[in-house]
Amino acid sequence: MKVPLAWRILAYDKRRTGLALIGIFMAILLVFVELGFFYAVPRGGLLLYDNMRFDLLLVSDQYEYQAQPGAFPLSQLDRVRASTAVEQATPIYFGFAKWKGGEGGVWPDVFVIGFEPATHIFIPDSIEQQLSVLERTDTLLVDSATRPIFGPLNAGRVVEIGARNMTIGGQYVLGTGFMGLGVALASAPNFARLFPGRGLDMVNLGAIELKPGVEAESAAGDLRQASGSGIQIFTRRELEAHETAYWTTRTSVGIIFGSGLLISFIVGIMIVYQIVSTQVGRQLPQFATLKAIGYADRSLVWTVGAMSLLIVIAGFVPALAAALGLYSIIRDQTLLPVTMSEARVFVVFGAALVMALASALLSVESLRRAAPADVF
Amino acid sequence: MCSEETVLSIAPSPVRRHPKGFQPGSVPLARRNLLANKPRLLRSACGIGFAVLLMLMQLGFQQAFFDSSLEVIRRLDGDLFLQSIHKYQFATRDTFPRTNLDAPRNLPGVASARPLYADWYNFFWKNPFDDKIFLVRAFAFDPDGPVFSFAEVNANRAKLKEANTVLIDRQARRFLGMDRDPAEAELNGTKVKVVGSFALGPDFQSDGTVMMSDRTFASLLPGPAGSPSQVDLGVVKVGPGVDAAVVRQAMTKTVPDTIAVFTKPELVEFERRFQADVSSAGPIFAMGTIVGFVVGMLISYQVTYTDLSDQLPQYATLKAIGYRTGYLLRVVLEQAAFNAMAGWIPAWLVSIVLYYVIGQLALLPLRMSVNLTLLSLGLTLGMCLISAVLAVRRVIRADPAEVF
Repeated sequence: MKVPLAWRILAYDKRRTGLALIGIFMAILLVFVELGFFYAVPRGGLLLYDNMRFDLLLVSDQYEYQAQPGAFPLSQLDRVRASTAVEQATPIYFGFAKWKGGEGGVWPDVFVIGFEPATHIFIPDSIEQQLSVLERTDTLLVDSATRPIFGPLNAGRVVEIGARNMTIGGQYVLGTGFMGLGVALASAPNFARLFPGRGLDMVNLGAIELKPGVEAESAAGDLRQASGSGIQIFTRRELEAHETAYWTTRTSVGIIFGSGLLISFIVGIMIVYQIVSTQVGRQLPQFATLKAIGYADRSLVWTVGAMSLLIVIAGFVPALAAALGLYSIIRDQTLLPVTMSEARVFVVFGAALVMALASALLSVESLRRAAPADVF
Repeated sequence: MCSEETVLSIAPSPVRRHPKGFQPGSVPLARRNLLANKPRLLRSACGIGFAVLLMLMQLGFQQAFFDSSLEVIRRLDGDLFLQSIHKYQFATRDTFPRTNLDAPRNLPGVASARPLYADWYNFFWKNPFDDKIFLVRAFAFDPDGPVFSFAEVNANRAKLKEANTVLIDRQARRFLGMDRDPAEAELNGTKVKVVGSFALGPDFQSDGTVMMSDRTFASLLPGPAGSPSQVDLGVVKVGPGVDAAVVRQAMTKTVPDTIAVFTKPELVEFERRFQADVSSAGPIFAMGTIVGFVVGMLISYQVTYTDLSDQLPQYATLKAIGYRTGYLLRVVLEQAAFNAMAGWIPAWLVSIVLYYVIGQLALLPLRMSVNLTLLSLGLTLGMCLISAVLAVRRVIRADPAEVF
């Protein structure tokens, strides 16, 4: 069996093996951190949608991304409602207003989301449980991730927003994503009072829930035909693809994290190569001895392969654990929704294994050529 | 790729080569040790270089992040600035009455006090090439009272006197179509004539910028929002030889306490602090830099440690024949510094190319600066020297008799 030999080689010089493990650990951690940032950007962009109940989203044909959606007439939603496939079609309103009660007298801009509370369109329990609060006149709920620059967010505080005194009814937990530094929820009537100039006739998003058993793709096709021009309808899948494409290709944030990811991958590969090849190179005299006493090349290749796999596995497990820990710190510190996915774990693990094996085989090539006598 | 060969080669003994060179320092031992095994030098330079590259990219992104939002403030042609105390960042509208500029304008030492109108939320540009509509940033001023230092803006400002004429940012994001030299476009549903362009570039909030006269601004943004009587920023220039700080003191007293007076460095700092506080760009990029530093330290440690292990007999011999620990330490540190430079120089050169390429792709002001050069050099030397000190303890402990 080759593994015991590989194991003994690694266990012999513990300090050096430890060093190699730390190196592999850092390389994998680096890749995980950059991957986390890269995927957090579109995830942040999708945050609001991820917390809403809908099957199809009706938006203006000027829709850019969630925070710049354009607007369409409310009557479009009435047409959609007429379809037998549709259970509910809810208008969502967006507006920016001056929050005239920030820290140190500043007036930060607050992103206000208006909706009809009875529609139960938002998933978080903290919103569901406070729907009755929203029904009160001139009351709103603020997102718990709203930045300190907005001042205290305790329930009962009255803040002048735009030209109106609004009462904070409580907080909910959803996250501000890329909507702004502060986000608030308001009932549609309160929203209309807050933005008197715009009324409720122009809608930013139409959240469509389909009747149970209706297939989203085909329903979307039917609704597109039935509704007029000037709007578009996304299924969940299409919406996710659209937002992800926007954040990764159209914003500098996506490009920055994308190139950061690319560089971290290259650095990670370099480290794995460097470590594995040093580990193998160190053992050349021993391998040459084995060769001299009759071990076949293939058996040595197996040993080297087993060695590199052991190092990678031993480095990967703590790196994954550290990455998860770091993710939760990053989530707290930056409010970016940095999360791990199974697919990413497998891809990084696979990439590390392939890289380690490739490095091992490259460095063992010199062993293959080596005449045992030359090594000493 | 850096190729791996045996790491067992033995460095030429400096003592043998220079029989008279027993005085410490007379033999370039560090350099010889390094050059003795060129594949290994290449490999370590690659490893350290990539760690440096990682740090340089992260540091560059951080700088570009701040520069992109500070660029427009730096291009304001003024010494002092007036803005509402409610304004928490540059990219938000909080106006004050234009009449509040009259008193500052009449202060001794003040050459001009001009209004800047600005909006980030209400100007929608229709790409003339594909008819798609995008939110853009709009700046407006009296064509007779320029407020920006863009030469092209000032050369074309007279043309802005004609109604519905604009200047556009040819460095704006490509999907706006501003880089394709359109003659006409639509802004807030009104046809506008493009009479020139300037190079500013997007920041993290705006994809593109249009500039226009205060009158066009008011007509494209009807109602109180676009009214020329409410200004977003007062741009004040002092006369030649006048100390802006002195004028600032007098000005603070003449304006209502709802208006704050900034010098240019203060305004830049105000914005930088805001961006740092809210964006978490600082921690994000710092994390990348730290990881690069630790990775570089590990690689450098491994390089030095391997080298010391392989040459332990030689070092022990040197010790045995009377070289002091201090000398050996110096050799090891010198070697680490050489390694650092061998990694840093190529990484620095590559990062200049990468800055350019990514800067063009992301339209970010990614530029190599003296700051970045010195900071990355310092970090590189730091990580290599620290790891060398950690690794060298073994040599210091080495008992010549035990090594053989």
